[in-house]
Amino acid sequence: MKVPVEWLKEYVTVRLSPKALAERLTMAGLEVVAIHDADGGPVLDLEITPNRADCLSIIGIAREVAAITGQRPKLPTAVRSSLFSVRSKRQHRTLNTEHRTEVKIRIEDRAGCSRYIGRLIDGVKIGPSPDWMQRRLLACGARPINNVVDITNYVLLESGQPLHAFDFDRLTQGTILVRRAQPKEPITTLDGTSRTLSADMLVIADAKHSVAVAGVMGGLGSEVTLTTRNVLLESALFDPTTVRRTARALGMSSESSYRFERGVDPVGVETASAHAASLIVKLAGGSLRQVLDVGARPPKRTAISLEAARASRWLGIRRSPAEIRTALARLSCHVVSRGTEDILQVSVPSFRRDLAQDVDLYEELARIGGYDRIPSSLPIGPLAGSSPQSEDTERFQQLRSLRCLCAGLGLTEAITWGLVSEADLSRCGYTAAQSVRLANPLSQDHAYLRPSLLMGLLQAVRRNHTQGESGVRLFEVGNVMPSGAREEDSRLGFVISGLWVRDWHAKDVCDFFRLKGLIEAITDRFCRSAARFVEPPGKARDTNPHPTRGATSRTPGQVRGSLCGVEAPRPWADPSQSTSVKLDGCDVGEAGRVYRAITEALDIEQDVWFAELSANALVAAASRSPIAVSAPTVFPPVKRDLSVLLDEGSPYEAVFHAICEIGGNLTSRVELIDRYAGPAIPAGKYSLTFAIEYREATRTLTASEVDALHQRIGQTLTGRFNARLR
Amino acid sequence: MNLDSPEPKKGRLLLRSHTSPVQIRVMERRKPPLRIVVPGKVFRPDPLDPSHSFMFHQVEGLMVDDRTSFADLKGVLEHVLKALFGAKTKTRFRPHYFPFTEPSAEVDIACSACRGKGCSTCARKGWLEIMGCGMVHPNVFRAVGYDPRAVQGFAFGMGVERIAMLQHAITDIRLFFENDLRFLEQF
Repeated sequence: MKVPVEWLKEYVTVRLSPKALAERLTMAGLEVVAIHDADGGPVLDLEITPNRADCLSIIGIAREVAAITGQRPKLPTAVRSSLFSVRSKRQHRTLNTEHRTEVKIRIEDRAGCSRYIGRLIDGVKIGPSPDWMQRRLLACGARPINNVVDITNYVLLESGQPLHAFDFDRLTQGTILVRRAQPKEPITTLDGTSRTLSADMLVIADAKHSVAVAGVMGGLGSEVTLTTRNVLLESALFDPTTVRRTARALGMSSESSYRFERGVDPVGVETASAHAASLIVKLAGGSLRQVLDVGARPPKRTAISLEAARASRWLGIRRSPAEIRTALARLSCHVVSRGTEDILQVSVPSFRRDLAQDVDLYEELARIGGYDRIPSSLPIGPLAGSSPQSEDTERFQQLRSLRCLCAGLGLTEAITWGLVSEADLSRCGYTAAQSVRLANPLSQDHAYLRPSLLMGLLQAVRRNHTQGESGVRLFEVGNVMPSGAREEDSRLGFVISGLWVRDWHAKDVCDFFRLKGLIEAITDRFCRSAARFVEPPGKARDTNPHPTRGATSRTPGQVRGSLCGVEAPRPWADPSQSTSVKLDGCDVGEAGRVYRAITEALDIEQDVWFAELSANALVAAASRSPIAVSAPTVFPPVKRDLSVLLDEGSPYEAVFHAICEIGGNLTSRVELIDRYAGPAIPAGKYSLTFAIEYREATRTLTASEVDALHQRIGQTLTGRFNARLR
Repeated sequence: MNLDSPEPKKGRLLLRSHTSPVQIRVMERRKPPLRIVVPGKVFRPDPLDPSHSFMFHQVEGLMVDDRTSFADLKGVLEHVLKALFGAKTKTRFRPHYFPFTEPSAEVDIACSACRGKGCSTCARKGWLEIMGCGMVHPNVFRAVGYDPRAVQGFAFGMGVERIAMLQHAITDIRLFFENDLRFLEQF
């Protein structure tokens, strides 16, 4: 909304500089975003919030300036007298009785148009409008056209009431009918565009055709031209929703539709019409012949009851009823106290359609006084009755310590896009059909909810490798929409690739053991529970697992795992180096090497190791297991090594757990110290060496006790795994 | 996949554009007094450019009891902004419009680049808009089943990336989501 200061001064005394005025307006909620220079002086550019339709006019802004500077606005008499009188009886006046009534106005659709005032002015002479008017229009961004059209635009800008002028002689049978459009009814609007209307749109029609899109734009066929002699001036009240829908459906917006959409002053319909008509008579000649006022008078609004004590409590400032009365009077409100003195009855002016209940008035009190005049205070006293820490808070803190732990393990936190592309999905083995697609994606790159954190983390790995980073270690905690699921799931994902440690050796490369070690560190320290890796390694295959984009069939041999009840494929992982992760008997995630076909498609040369765990399962496990502490024993340990030759198919994990199981409480530590496969042992076999530490908390173990137990462990392994002791 | 039809109760799903729904859910579940802070991801139909992103993070706060006032809102947010931007931070509360608060305000801090004089960082305004806030509208209390005459309180919301950008003089929001280690490791 552009406001020439010079025009503003017609309605209110402005002693402030434009900059100071802009500051005051901004601090009253009418933000001045720029001050331009125009022919005629400075012009303020205001951003009006949607609730303040009354400020979409010069007079509206003048009223605000008057209110915040403590003056009375200098309004035109017509405007002033209509402030409270909801007078305007239905009028049907013919001013010059020599002529018979020519205009016929009928509102067929009262829901779309509650009031329509037509003023017929005959004998006008069309020509340019005066310079002062053109200057003001230009300063406001309106293009001067001719005196009559300019006057309608001028009064619109001045009062906020949209007006339209028809060439009366081009209205068939002198008729105005406000109705819904016929389906597919054509009209050519003033901008020269042919448009097709639909039945929910409101139009102004003559006896034959529609001549204007109500509240949006006039039609070309009835526009005022140089040859126009008789003008019908329209001032009406159109339904905001109808105008908004119509303008949007037609993809057009005008100064008129903008104001109707937000709601115009129902009392201003008549004053604006009268003012514009008098300007036409004055500047374009002619005489006012007929006034027709059809439709309902503006409804009388009930007063708002305002309790001074409550207003004070709401705002945190003490305001007496007298102070409130004074402040609201500045906003043209009419205030009376009825009954007790503390309760005020406030009648708000017709143009303040946004003031509907007491809190709306509290805001006005704060605003007119100035938000900066309200003192700051801090809430005092205890959190009266505040509930103990909620589950949400506990979960939030748990996730935060999980993040801290990951960072402590040398990972950097990443935040990747929650939306991925179809290419991302199919590349990683997910199908578009199983994923949730946005109805209106901004771009195809971000059209699906991610089913896994993998896609985003892979892009991050790619970016960092491209930028010359030799080792990438990232983690992310975030929500995903698992394939086929109906609700989001919260996950911890991490990805490692390239060098684990960047040093001159350049030898310590990320591998499966690093990945597994990270998972163990997290479950040990965060959940205080040991992770189990249950998937036996499958056959290595590094051909492209996902040859067709968006294929819906599963790749044969694809490994499937499950994530806490929800079936979740692990389509991205090479089965030879991947595993499911279990915690306390429940599946909590997947880990492994991303297929080289996937990483190569992204131009990532290094292997990428990825794991994704259910954050909820980790948090639940952490809450399950409190920290258990026992004093370290003073009795010495007995150490024995155990070397076994195993079939390739017998996994370390199972052997390790078998040792722990047989040893029971007496095995205080079991560690793998060697793994060998090579020429010294038969093909298809491999050898593991464990260091076992036996210890009893309350006494020293005897050698014979330890020997017996050690032997029993050896025998169990022989029996259970077809192992041979070495 | 069609999430629209099978559960008509839930209706069509929408990526949230504010974290405000969390406020509603908490109020539906719990009775005042309430003091909550809600961080979370939000989505907007804004194409990516240096100052816009279709995904970012918000932190909202809500405090509701029988006495928390607009003055308290000012006090709490001034405290928050001093904690974020330094003890000398100047703030101002500017009337604004949000349908769910009354009164509503936008909070500005004095531009740190020009100390309020006006420069390119603050578009010559001398102030940087930092968050929106207000006193919770009684209609909101009504909607969650509170007695609108018995409770009052404030709500505020701010963009995490925007605050980080101002704090660390970062000029491109996309840096937060590119996950370049050279960027991430500076925090």
